[in-house]
Amino acid sequence: MLRSIRLLWDRLLHRAQMDREMNEELEFHLAMRAKDLEKTGLPPAEALRAARLEFGAMERYKEEGRQARRLQFVHDFRVDVLYGLRMMRKAPGFTAVAVLTLALGIGANSATFGIVYGLLYRPLPFPDESRIAAVHMNFSPQNSPRGNLSVADFVDWQNGNTVFERVAAYSRSRFTLTGEGQAEEVSGAAVTAAYFSILDMKPILGRTFQPGDDAASGPSLVVITASLWQRRFSSSRDAIGRVIEVNSSPVTIIGVVSEGYGFPLRNIEMWQNVHLKVTRRGPFFFQGIGRLRPGATFERAQAETNLIGHNIERAAPGVYSNLKMPVEPLRTYLVGDLRPALFMMFAAVLAVLLIAAVNIANLLLARGSTREREMAVRLSLGAARRRLVQQLLTESVLLSLTGAAAGLLLAFASVRMFRAFNPADVPLAYQVQLDWNVLLFTVVIAMAAGVLFGVVPAIQSVRGDLQAPLKEGGRSGSAGAGHHRTRAVLVIAEIALSLVLLVAAGLLLRSFMLLQKVDAGFSAPPENLLTMVITPKTVRNAENPFAFNTGIISFYQRVMESVGRLPGVQHVAVSDSIPPDLAGEDDSFSIAGRPWSDQAYPSTALPKVSPDYFRALGVPLVRGRFFTHEDTAKSAPVTIISESLARRYFPDTDPIGQKIQASAPSGNNSPYMDVVGVVGDLKYWGLESESATAYYQPYTQNFSSTSFLVVRSPKPAAALATMIEREIHSVDKDAVVRSVLTMEELLGASVARPRFRTLLLTGFGALALILAGVGIYGVIAYSVTQRTQEIGIRMALGAQRSDVLKMVMGRGAVLTLVGLGAGLFASFAAARALSRFLFAIGAGDPLTFALGITVLSVVAMAATLIPALRATKIDPLVALRYE
Amino acid sequence: MPKQAALLPGTLDLLILKSVSLGPLHGYGVLLRIEQISGGALLVEQGALYPALYRLEEQDLLASEWGISENNRRAKYYRLTRSGEKRLRTETESWNRLVSAMSTVLHATTEEV
Repeated sequence: MLRSIRLLWDRLLHRAQMDREMNEELEFHLAMRAKDLEKTGLPPAEALRAARLEFGAMERYKEEGRQARRLQFVHDFRVDVLYGLRMMRKAPGFTAVAVLTLALGIGANSATFGIVYGLLYRPLPFPDESRIAAVHMNFSPQNSPRGNLSVADFVDWQNGNTVFERVAAYSRSRFTLTGEGQAEEVSGAAVTAAYFSILDMKPILGRTFQPGDDAASGPSLVVITASLWQRRFSSSRDAIGRVIEVNSSPVTIIGVVSEGYGFPLRNIEMWQNVHLKVTRRGPFFFQGIGRLRPGATFERAQAETNLIGHNIERAAPGVYSNLKMPVEPLRTYLVGDLRPALFMMFAAVLAVLLIAAVNIANLLLARGSTREREMAVRLSLGAARRRLVQQLLTESVLLSLTGAAAGLLLAFASVRMFRAFNPADVPLAYQVQLDWNVLLFTVVIAMAAGVLFGVVPAIQSVRGDLQAPLKEGGRSGSAGAGHHRTRAVLVIAEIALSLVLLVAAGLLLRSFMLLQKVDAGFSAPPENLLTMVITPKTVRNAENPFAFNTGIISFYQRVMESVGRLPGVQHVAVSDSIPPDLAGEDDSFSIAGRPWSDQAYPSTALPKVSPDYFRALGVPLVRGRFFTHEDTAKSAPVTIISESLARRYFPDTDPIGQKIQASAPSGNNSPYMDVVGVVGDLKYWGLESESATAYYQPYTQNFSSTSFLVVRSPKPAAALATMIEREIHSVDKDAVVRSVLTMEELLGASVARPRFRTLLLTGFGALALILAGVGIYGVIAYSVTQRTQEIGIRMALGAQRSDVLKMVMGRGAVLTLVGLGAGLFASFAAARALSRFLFAIGAGDPLTFALGITVLSVVAMAATLIPALRATKIDPLVALRYE
Repeated sequence: MPKQAALLPGTLDLLILKSVSLGPLHGYGVLLRIEQISGGALLVEQGALYPALYRLEEQDLLASEWGISENNRRAKYYRLTRSGEKRLRTETESWNRLVSAMSTVLHATTEEV
């Protein structure tokens, strides 16, 4: 078939040339004939003429010649397709099962491919995005590898580099719009002047930032997206130049862009210019992007940036230690760490398709036996075996493409849902689309699957003895032995693959369940805790959102007072951090009187909380006291430490009364705080993190303006939301309240990705199980049918029903055991590959393996039982007459 | 010239395969060879030769290649492929069986029936 496709392709491309060749051939023929005629005495011109006359209607033969070449393949193909469609109609049951199985298998693959391709490979909306680099900084063991830069660092980088055409810094932010209309908070970023030109984002109205817009002093400008423009300014052209109030300061709108592309925040709608003022080496808010010069490579960029980092470290010793500035493609920064999970999913879904293909191959083999007579007749009439195989393969591919068409519907729905819900909480979800690439992939994989499951049955069908099926009353399936072995091998492969998927699903499932059981540290029932994020109007500052202002404190005091008076509110508190994974600030610390090193005192969560925080969450007080209303900005600085911190740093002494200072000691003028209490551990960095150390400050002594409000109620707290919001607005009508979620929802969100992975793989595992069960059933049932006569004879000779049962089940058991054995090796390998996703259990977890083996065995035995029981019901007399 | 027999439909392919099996030939050469071997007894329609050649090539029974002919002109030469050899063998067998069967029938006298 491949040859025919190649020939057809050739023909289509070289039509003119082939015509010329044909003409040349015919001219040659005529010339030769003319020469021969000349030998009989005719003059050359006469000879040629005679030759032509002899030849006959030249044009007609040329036409026949053309037809003979071009249409052979097309003709065959048409015949095959029509025949294939007829065969499908004649066996509706088989066709339905096959198409459904293929739809599931291929559809799942298409959807997964769409996700993998969209996230990892489809070009981003930014032109030439492969040349955009993301640059970060880390300089102490506590920084995350992709940590932040300070303004000073950015300026040094900007001035010192040669590989980048343009560089920019950005800092994620939230902007509160007040003044006219309803107060609203939008996602945004503070960016330097080159940002928009690096990403090549052009304005649809007005302008974006230009060089100079990030000078140390100058006006505050913003660029907004079309969605914000439409929503808040009715898409009116006079929005440009308008002065609005953002974070309590006046800014001027200078331009509108069509959209934000989800970078650097999911729903970004506004950018404000940064004023680059270098006063000290900190604070560290910014991340960098840059566009490489043509010809520059990432290796060179990294090398040069390393040099710049080195110089920075030398210029400010004591601030930086072991400074690194990683440079990587923007794509890698955004989705690089998703790669392993995505490839795992893809492997799993391909395995499911393989299992489905095996099932269909088995079905076809069974059916092939019934078509033996047809094949025998055609072979004996002279059909080429290869032609028959070609036709059978066409039928298989046809089946596969039909399944693929149905599968595309499934894929379409899945992709829609993925984009709408983003269950795995990934950036760039909008890149996942069902487009030509996915379509092409679907067609290719459908054809591959069709050939894969069709080739063995096709070859089996045309092999073998022609005589027996043609004999009168010839029993079909006499070429049984070869068929049986093939089917057995296929089923064993199926079982092995299913075990792999089951073990993988089991490991992820157990891992996920263990993850969910992790104690985050609080005892309040999660559905009784309501949280929300509040941003007061009083002081908001894009340049330094961590500004300290007493106005904020009185705002929150009033909020807590009035919310606390509401019915149903047991405790109310504010905090800038919430378990399980919404940590606010973290910092190192030092203990008075002890030497300091950054290994001994790693970065630790530093929540700032109100007095009732621990009561609201239900965290036990181990020693000392909670914060009270006497701990104010004017009283002595105090701190509460978590239990594990106490255990680690004060194993033999009483921590109460010790003095702790926030941050590393050098260049530090923050006050020493008295330890007044020890509380139970809380997880702030995710359930799977080991760390639960923290030290707390009263919110009156160190604060951030945006905070969580935590409310505990004796009953499910979701109902209180509206009431609480009303109270907050009665204190400050311009305060923005968002992310109203119960702790239950927060816990759920914190495990979004593991949950998605687990769900998907469990689904695949279940699918594989069903398919394997069906596969075994098919093989055993068929073998029973084939051996009906034999069983009848045995029973007539005295075999009991139980003997027959044992015989049939025995066959099934052998298949299962061999399959499990083969699958076990593959499962170990797969489990090892999965170890990065596992929490609290090892890749060789015996319980999971045992469970997988057991479940598969039970299903396999159940599938065997049904035909086995049927075998016992065979009436020997009927069987002996049966042919 | 001995009596010429018209070709039965479908036999041209077999003749072509046989001719080419004796050595690669161009189209005209096939014609000559059939004439030569049959002693002129078989009549081949010249024009039908080429469509037959192309068809056989399409079915991968013949392979073709441009070469230089005896009189230094460019000509397309055909040779037998392996499938072609196989086809020649099976077709020849079928033909022989058919001929022998037909012969037996046609020579039957009233006594033998």
